Amino acid sequence: MKRYFGEYGGQFVPETLMRALSELEEAFLNFKKNMDAKKELEYYQKNYAGRQTPLYYAKNLSSRIGCRVYLKREDLLHTGAHKLNNTLGQILLAKFMGKKRIIAETGAGQHGVATATAAALLGMECVVYMGKKDMERQSPNVERMKLLGAEVVSVEKGSMTLKSAINETLRDWVKNVQTTHYLLGSAVGPHPFPVIVKYFQEVIGKEARKQILKAESRLPDSVVACVGGGSNAIGIFSGFVKDSVDMIGVEAGGESLELGKHSATLTMGRPGILHGALSYLLQDEYGQVADVHSISAGLDYPGVGPEHSYLKDIGRVRYDACFDNEALEAFRLLSRLEGIIPALESSHAVGYVIKHSELFKDKLVLINLSGRGDKDLGIIASLEEKNV
Amino acid sequence: MCKKGIYLVCDYPTKDSFFEAVRVCDDFNMDFLEIGFPFSDPVADGSIIESAAFDVLKKENVNNFIESTKEVKKLFRNKLYIMTYANIVFGCGMEKFAAAVGFVDGLIIADLPYIESRRLKNVLNKYGINLIHFVTPESSCADIDKIKKSSNDFIYFVSTRGITGGAFSLDDETRKKVIYTKQNSKNDVIVGFGIQNKDDIKEACRYADGVVIGTQAVKNLKSGDFYSFVRDLV
Ligand SMILES: Cc1ncc(COP(=O)(O)O)c(C=O)c1O
Repeated sequence: MKRYFGEYGGQFVPETLMRALSELEEAFLNFKKNMDAKKELEYYQKNYAGRQTPLYYAKNLSSRIGCRVYLKREDLLHTGAHKLNNTLGQILLAKFMGKKRIIAETGAGQHGVATATAAALLGMECVVYMGKKDMERQSPNVERMKLLGAEVVSVEKGSMTLKSAINETLRDWVKNVQTTHYLLGSAVGPHPFPVIVKYFQEVIGKEARKQILKAESRLPDSVVACVGGGSNAIGIFSGFVKDSVDMIGVEAGGESLELGKHSATLTMGRPGILHGALSYLLQDEYGQVADVHSISAGLDYPGVGPEHSYLKDIGRVRYDACFDNEALEAFRLLSRLEGIIPALESSHAVGYVIKHSELFKDKLVLINLSGRGDKDLGIIASLEEKNV
Repeated sequence: MCKKGIYLVCDYPTKDSFFEAVRVCDDFNMDFLEIGFPFSDPVADGSIIESAAFDVLKKENVNNFIESTKEVKKLFRNKLYIMTYANIVFGCGMEKFAAAVGFVDGLIIADLPYIESRRLKNVLNKYGINLIHFVTPESSCADIDKIKKSSNDFIYFVSTRGITGGAFSLDDETRKKVIYTKQNSKNDVIVGFGIQNKDDIKEACRYADGVVIGTQAVKNLKSGDFYSFVRDLV
């Protein structure tokens, strides 16, 4: 298997993890060929997770902004985000490998919940690392993980967000590599993780392509998705990458595009090495990883999946930023207009389309609504107190 | 033969006490020094080295580390290595970094496994800097053979599955791997991770050519007990 996308990717990890990574790659290749495993995954996707998810024509939003907007409703997937696609796949892969203990990082808590859910389903031990700051701002998901039987470890070092949670999960993995599968939640990390996560998220793009062809008898003009590490985006983009369809990845512009105030890695970063891969990275001139910010915990990350770096460099996908306030506005607008409360992460994709509605005038636009916003009500309430 | 090396976090806890520690290592004729260049996300390190790194990063950057390491070169007569993470070298530009540190014997990059090492190695070769490879309890004999063949400086044997700052032990399997690594090796095999005291050194050197002591050295330097700590090692 190729370890790189163009010049991006690779396996920049301590030597101790190399055997586990090559075993994972081999197991994944066998898993893909195994018909029983495939059937089992399809069974859970359909009967447990609720696939396929609907493609919904957002009539009210469309008439408000003057283009035709379809939403791929990953928010309706069990546990409320696209993350379960990957965790169901990887937990079956972990079982296939005979691993009994699962560890994961989480930012927004959606991946943590999806991992805890899959682990409960298969009766595996589950430990989730989460930055202290994220545990505070996404507390409903902390409660959910505990109910699901996972141990949630508060990470109180460094940025205390997703980045520190990944550091701590990697440290756990180095110690327990013989018994433990690291169920990584986005299309990031050392090879083969970006390939594995994409494989399990491709279902979004496959379904969406069929659904839009059925509804409109044509492909969309644009496909838009938010990009944290890039898993929901790579999932939906994969369905259209060979078509002449415009694709846009929306990153978190945070408060402004000054270093430290955003998480717009592809928009503002340069290549660097973090968490096992060479990819775009927000860093200072001396190679230290920069502090980042986003109102959304799931996008608050200085790195990005290596395939996105490649897609940017070859010009196949355009990446741009949506600011905190624009995402908030979209969050509120979609709730009012369509009765759909989106996750703050997904609100960045919606916010981008709203802000640039003139670009999309009369166009057919497909937005990946990667998750629902119940987890974000605390953030919204505290902003309302401050009158934002 | 039992070589002893000390790992110090560059400029920690202060520039002065860091240089003083280097002098102590020279006085007690330590065989080598590893100078740690702090990185914001040191995934191979436990909390003692990590928090030392964060401390230093509040006021300094890699240019300061390079300047201090030049001073170290003047104060310390034996071998000198830099230990850091891939993005410090990559983020500076590999050529630029290598050109600036051409005076050290080698580089140790905690998140650069053998499989990813070729590009950097080609650059370092031009400047006469060696790249140190790791062998771990997870390495197969085939892995070890490759690493033995392509090493031109010591081989860093990581004693346990884990991060820096743990306890020292060599299980049966691992001991066999150390012995295998040393067999017909043209280079020294140095054991690191978890070495705390004279007993650990003795145990490691039954099988290996030497040890490196990191977390305990950093801890004792911080608490002011560095001199007696190093004295008691020899
Ligand atoms: C709903 C939702 N969307 C998007 C993301 C961002 O991750 P990714 O870019 O991997 O899709 C998250 C991460 O937590 C999320 O919860």
